[in-house]
Amino acid sequence: MSIALTEIRRSPLRFGLLTAAVGLLLALVLFLATVGGALLSRITGALERQSAPVLVFAVEARRNVQASLIAPGVAERVAAVPGVAAVAPWVTRGFTLRTGAGLRDGTLIGYEPGGPGAPTDIVEGRLPRMNGEAVLSALDAEAGFEVGSTVRVLPGGSPLEIVGLAEGASFAVQPTLFTPYEGFTAIARRAFPDAGPVLPSVLAVAPAPGEDPVALARRITEAVPGVEALDRQTAVASVPGTDAIRSSLGLLLGLAFVVVVVVIGFFFLIFAVQKADVFTLLLAMGTPARSLVGGLALQVVLVVGVGSLLATGLLAALATTGDRAFPISVDPGLALGTGATAVALSLLAALGAVRRIVRIDPAAAVRGGGGELA
Amino acid sequence: MRPARIGATEVLRRPGRFAITAAVLALLVALQVVLWGLLDGLTGSTTGAYRALGADLLVYGPASRAALLRSQVSPELRARVEAADGVAAVGGLGVTLTWGRTDGAPVPTDLAVFGYERSTGRLPAPPPPGDGLADRSLSQEGVAIGDVLAVGPQGVPIRVSGWVQDASYLGQPGLWVAPATWRRVLATAAPDRVLPEGTWQALVVDAEGDAAAVAARIARATGAEALPLDEAISRLPGVEAQRASFLQLIGATTLVAGLVVALFFALITLERVRLFGVLKAVGVSSAQLLGALALQALTVTGAAYAVGVAAAVALARVAPEEVPIRLTGGRVLWVAPVLVGTALLGLATSLRRVVRIDPATAVVGR
Repeated sequence: MSIALTEIRRSPLRFGLLTAAVGLLLALVLFLATVGGALLSRITGALERQSAPVLVFAVEARRNVQASLIAPGVAERVAAVPGVAAVAPWVTRGFTLRTGAGLRDGTLIGYEPGGPGAPTDIVEGRLPRMNGEAVLSALDAEAGFEVGSTVRVLPGGSPLEIVGLAEGASFAVQPTLFTPYEGFTAIARRAFPDAGPVLPSVLAVAPAPGEDPVALARRITEAVPGVEALDRQTAVASVPGTDAIRSSLGLLLGLAFVVVVVVIGFFFLIFAVQKADVFTLLLAMGTPARSLVGGLALQVVLVVGVGSLLATGLLAALATTGDRAFPISVDPGLALGTGATAVALSLLAALGAVRRIVRIDPAAAVRGGGGELA
Repeated sequence: MRPARIGATEVLRRPGRFAITAAVLALLVALQVVLWGLLDGLTGSTTGAYRALGADLLVYGPASRAALLRSQVSPELRARVEAADGVAAVGGLGVTLTWGRTDGAPVPTDLAVFGYERSTGRLPAPPPPGDGLADRSLSQEGVAIGDVLAVGPQGVPIRVSGWVQDASYLGQPGLWVAPATWRRVLATAAPDRVLPEGTWQALVVDAEGDAAAVAARIARATGAEALPLDEAISRLPGVEAQRASFLQLIGATTLVAGLVVALFFALITLERVRLFGVLKAVGVSSAQLLGALALQALTVTGAAYAVGVAAAVALARVAPEEVPIRLTGGRVLWVAPVLVGTALLGLATSLRRVVRIDPATAVVGR
């Protein structure tokens, strides 16, 4: 083991470059996973962190909240399905917000106070009690756009006072405000005076106690023509565009991991080949093969471990720059998991080098012969 | 034998030694090409409609933050825009995000229904009311010329009368229709966003002279948001964020590729110090040795580039349908000089070591 550590100490360039390469690759993996997670959460957070376990869509909208319109009369039919405890309208539209911090793009969500569909994770302030009040997605709060401030919804200029902050409640990667449904319709009418009625995007449903949301969603879909009911988890997973993001990220993460493994595997194989003469001599002098393999494994673990720390540090540095459209933060669980996976895969990748070591014939020390790669 | 030839012969006779680096570089090339492909795919399906417009400027209602769906341009505002200096022609534009279904289709398809008033860019003049020009991507979903799409919750019938290439919006295929048809769709698919007759979401403007200067004049004179087309495209939701994130990823991949080459040639140089000493002892210069190494680096990089591009193309073919990879020749070619430059930079890390090799090494060892 001490030989392995001494070698690292005496070959700083060789191991430094390898560690840097692994660190950068793992930083790429972490960055991809973190950005992807943050992006998905900002696209779907408002659906994920609202209180209704079941959401009912117009079937033609294909699970797209922003395309869905619930026709008049549907809510009553959904309420009549056995197992439904409460039904409330839930609507979302994009507006411009004039805040104390300037103009902002914003998503406004109308929900029924006291009914299903309210934001769940209030981290500051309270839920709205009347029209003209709203809860803001916590991540978007800033000076002039925080609890206690009043924003104007454009067009129309309707005022909304922010009375609370909800954790992770963003929708469509925009600042998101939850406000009472009735107030929402007034805001929409003021913004588009010539428009028709404001129809709910979806219906938020609370199941009766003990009712399974998945089973209830299936029953609603079967019982009410023209709608598709989904449990919350399925609704979140079905938000348009998230599939493409998940699949693309999966592809990129897979490729990046393959590169990490190939880099580690091939370079330790090179090292093993270069040191074949030394290994032969050590084996001839009685050093057990498992000791050499242990030293190699230690080097792999150290290179990937330090590379993981480097990657986490790089991500933390990136997280502080704050020049992206949405902030990211280091998730210790993700960093640890990525590092552990990389170590495990790298040890597997080093099997080629291990095989090369265990196949060395100590007798070659006296008759000569070095390592060759191919 | 000249050093360059020795270098080439070594690559030919011991490909295994170089295959390692070539394989790693090929994977990094594949990653880069796929990243560019994803960026182009995501951006293309978001911005196609605006690029199809090909106009000089887009003008949005005040305080709309360049968002079509919440912008309103009244007839009065339009008149002021038309009167602004440098404005050559103006047409109304509006969009409704909805869905449509041909008779017998099992599932509807998402649509961005655009109403427009005049021909610009790749768009011909608006079709007659009831007809629509569809984004060609709809043909992959079984839609054909002459098919009638039932659009929106009330199934407004629109007959597909032609195709427009690359004209989707926010990931939804565009369907370009006459103003009256669009207003029918708007009234049923977004009843709470109906606009009065004559009011549009935006104006498509042809400018005389510098588009940015005309945009600034329009904004000053009318209070509307006027943007040159490129800026309007970059203000579409998610475009800038996507671009910035992907460029960071591509930059990181390029950096790693450089490090891999640096690491590999540092190792090769270390391994061959004595051989280089012999070559120097018989009169080969450091420049010649570096030339031979550069030749090897370029050979490895070239092979890696070819394999990496082939891998990326294969990956794009087998990728799931929802992964929007769009590979273009320009992007694929662009990766080559970046990769070669990175490889040569990586090789430069061995420069000092090669120059400092003492020919006496050949006799007395290191």
